[in-house]
Amino acid sequence: MSKPQAPPEAAPARESVAKAEQSLYASVLAIRDRHELERLGIAFYDAETTLQWSYNADAVFHAASTMKLAVLLAVFRQFTRGELTLDEPVHVRNKFVSIHDRKPYMLELNRDNEGEVYERLGRTMSVEQLAYHMITSSSNFATNLLVDAVGVPVIQTALEEMKIEGLKVLRGVEDHAAFEAGLNNEVTANGLLKLLRLIAEGRAYGEEASARMREILLDQRFKGGIPAGLPEAARVAHKSGNISTVHHDAGIVYLEGRKPYVLVVLTQFPNEAGVTTAVADVSRDIYECLAGMDGG
Amino acid sequence: MAETESESGLKIVDGFDLEPELRALLRPGELVEGIGGQCHHLPRYFYEVPTREAAREIRLTAHFGLNEFLLVDMKEASRVRAFPRYVPCAIRMTAFYLERLREATGAPVHLAVNGGYRSPAHKLSVAATPHMWGTAADVYKIGSVVLRDRASIETYNRVVEDLTDDLYVMPYGHGIGTADDHIHVDLGYVVVVPREISEDRLDRPQDRPRFAFEERRRGDRRGWPREPLPDILPAAAHTGSSESKK
Repeated sequence: MSKPQAPPEAAPARESVAKAEQSLYASVLAIRDRHELERLGIAFYDAETTLQWSYNADAVFHAASTMKLAVLLAVFRQFTRGELTLDEPVHVRNKFVSIHDRKPYMLELNRDNEGEVYERLGRTMSVEQLAYHMITSSSNFATNLLVDAVGVPVIQTALEEMKIEGLKVLRGVEDHAAFEAGLNNEVTANGLLKLLRLIAEGRAYGEEASARMREILLDQRFKGGIPAGLPEAARVAHKSGNISTVHHDAGIVYLEGRKPYVLVVLTQFPNEAGVTTAVADVSRDIYECLAGMDGG
Repeated sequence: MAETESESGLKIVDGFDLEPELRALLRPGELVEGIGGQCHHLPRYFYEVPTREAAREIRLTAHFGLNEFLLVDMKEASRVRAFPRYVPCAIRMTAFYLERLREATGAPVHLAVNGGYRSPAHKLSVAATPHMWGTAADVYKIGSVVLRDRASIETYNRVVEDLTDDLYVMPYGHGIGTADDHIHVDLGYVVVVPREISEDRLDRPQDRPRFAFEERRRGDRRGWPREPLPDILPAAAHTGSSESKK
């Protein structure tokens, strides 16, 4: 667990931070045990107090859909550099190539999950529309189309340019041949925290690109992770990631009257977990801890 | 610059007269090698499509608009996507055969994005594909049937084969030279050269050529009176092409 960082001149604040850290650590261990988590990774940064806290934040997890944050970053990299415009048309075609054996594969499309992207099959959607659906409804179809459009090397270049460590994007989603061969996208809590801090602070390819990314992330439809542990008035720009044994969420939390904080919670279960509230529980604890500090 | 007014304001342009950037992308008259090692000259004469609106309005046949053959995504070079756009003159022939396919199936025939004309700069133009000649079409949907399985693709491939020997159809499959989410039809490496153009010309400006058949079609569509045919032809020939189709 990393040491909290507090202004050196504020001794009472240091004391408060130390108490908060101890409290968080205890509650996180309790959550881990209560939910029988195999692994848990947390990274947190609060712009209001400058408190930074983490637990197992460099542990590598299967990325699931949190890799879509890296794709979003790469799209806006290309946009900022003038290498694509957000209204460029992309053919909505369900045919992709596995990175493992170079064989074509198709996604198992579901009208309910893919919504508008499914409806556009055979036609075109703009880069911006695809980016929106990739994040807000976690469309795998939109994600793979964008991965094809910008290219995996560009995604990795974007991460390197932003000096984001711990994120590895090799491929799009549902590439089962690659999965069987162990070729997976990976994340760490610290890596995602860095990425979201850049977006929150307007440093991800400039303020305009960052603002547009924040707007998309704020429209997230799935509210089961970080937002579920917060008061209703909280606004969260976030992206979750769920597969059978991992449930993640990574987001920027906006609360009235204070600067935002960034929270990443990565959870892994020994077996298929079904619905779990582990991420929401961590989110609630963090919020209550901060509320206590704000109140003090 | 060698160009001629065509119907609906379309100009026919010699690719050699295009600006350097476009010429580099369209590579008029250049030799291109196919997957099998055969080499073919790329088309040199193009229709100039001035605007998006013009592309939407211009009908190549009763049911096929020019815009359907120009629908591409970001895999196409951005300059090629910008208007004015250029499409090989053979595109009319492709539309003619697709119209026949539509008649045979009795249902609308939908071209896929990137399924009509692709310039040599298009990312899917890895070898001499007839798409670069404007003589190929990828159809992803016929009527309400989305072509993405063996049964539907092979069924419609057979319809095409029964229709004409002029069209090549790509067999169902997942590899190169096969198709699994559309039917591919093409006329091969057909190049249309305007009647008045002399192909030995390299840099000499042309006169203003025009397709004679365009005049006739334009007259048909606009209901203009046609000159009577000579009496030496059978009476049926005097009824006009539209009636004879019925």
